[in-house]
Amino acid sequence: MSAVTWAVARRSLVLIPRLPSTFVPSMVMPIFFTIVFSEGFRGLANLPGFPARETVDWFVPMSAIMGAGFAGITLGMGVARDLEGGFYDRLLSSPAPRPSLITGSLMAAAARSLLPFALVMVVGVLMGASFAGGVVPSVGLLLVAATGVSMITAGWSVAIALRLKTQQSAPLMQVGFFLLMFLSTLQMPLNLLTGWLHDVARINPMTQVLDLARAGFLDLVSWGQVWPGLVALAGMLVVLVGFAARSLQKVIP
Amino acid sequence: MSALRQYGALSRRSIVNTIRQPAAIVPALVFPLIFLALTAAALDRSTDLPGFPRVDSFLQFAVATTIVQGSLFGAIAAGADMAKDIEGGFFERLVASPVARTSILVGRLAGAATLGFTQAWIYLGITSLFGLEVEGGAVAMVLISLVSAVVGAGIGSLAVAFGLRTGSNEAVQGAFPLLFVLLFFSSAFFPRTLMEGWFAGVAGANPISHLIEGLRSLVITGLDAGELLNALAVAAGLLVLGIAAAAAALRGRLKAAHG
Repeated sequence: MSAVTWAVARRSLVLIPRLPSTFVPSMVMPIFFTIVFSEGFRGLANLPGFPARETVDWFVPMSAIMGAGFAGITLGMGVARDLEGGFYDRLLSSPAPRPSLITGSLMAAAARSLLPFALVMVVGVLMGASFAGGVVPSVGLLLVAATGVSMITAGWSVAIALRLKTQQSAPLMQVGFFLLMFLSTLQMPLNLLTGWLHDVARINPMTQVLDLARAGFLDLVSWGQVWPGLVALAGMLVVLVGFAARSLQKVIP
Repeated sequence: MSALRQYGALSRRSIVNTIRQPAAIVPALVFPLIFLALTAAALDRSTDLPGFPRVDSFLQFAVATTIVQGSLFGAIAAGADMAKDIEGGFFERLVASPVARTSILVGRLAGAATLGFTQAWIYLGITSLFGLEVEGGAVAMVLISLVSAVVGAGIGSLAVAFGLRTGSNEAVQGAFPLLFVLLFFSSAFFPRTLMEGWFAGVAGANPISHLIEGLRSLVITGLDAGELLNALAVAAGLLVLGIAAAAAALRGRLKAAHG
């Protein structure tokens, strides 16, 4: 890992206390989702075929993934701000290796996702999450899924920022992630989805990622539940980081 | 110009302003519909749960929520437009003219009410294409759109009050998540009969629950005077509260403008 990668990542992390308004929503939203979904949809646990004994076990992993995704999106917003302010031009005219600008953002995204992740875990414990597969496998697999998603959304949002070069592209970054999540098993398991959403969720790789994230919260973990999620994470990472790299090529003078 | 003509001119300006800003109005119309499509498809099987109200589909259960959600989105535009008038200097010019002060508010509220009324018909029309049946028939649809207009004016007046106080479009837009929170802590997306503990208590105390349940009853049960009165009471309460807040904010802004 190059020194520039670390420097880009460090700069993003230093901005958290300096510009809290850009980071706080990614911490508050997953806590809000945990409480509202787990309590508001509590009755879903009584539905035959619903895989969790309590809705908190179903919605805590989903909320952690949402928080990680939003933490990743803040990286794209930061790049857009730097492009508008001219700082990114100075980075591009420096002898810094170009890939470091992307890998630095990915590192920062993974680091930024840890805070909302920890907060959701605390709220989950307070709300009675059962960690049915054991605490270490449950939290470990969710952590892998969350950091992976934060890097995926960082790739997506950085690519959008580099293409559109404006902070006004932030809603597009968020809507893209929202749709990816809502068109998966975010609210209900695949066996309880019907119609067009069932067909879309079945081929949406985020469904596999959510299966990975939830594996330890619902039951004992098996390798069969883990590998599809890892493959989906790797696939999305390759595609979206590739998209960011191609977008970076377009802004290099 | 008589006060009545001033009301008319500023109301027309507000409505035309809304129509001419597709970037502001399209998300207010489209996002609630997308959210409805996603939740109706995801939660359709939840209607099988014992204790769930008798409905044809989750779409029938949730359409009232979409109408209120649309009113909330649209109302934010009213507050943002007021803030933009202040930021752009139009408000100063309006205050310097001999126009009746009340027309400044009436114009904005007429715009928000018209938007709420129109949105309700658009949502009912589009969801009808996807199989929605309104048990209360055409009368219920008219009542729903009228309540939606009052909600639009009520929330719109609160947003206008906020716009007048802050004079910042960004601040008004930033206040939107607060309304979203209110919606989620209600029976907007799931029936209260299936909630438990403190959340059921919060949802029961949340006036938005009673507003949505009143409108929902017109869709899933038919004409029910008691439920309708509940919805009307909440909508009217919002309007009275909003007008009082907007009038106080306008007085404060006028006092500041006159030094």
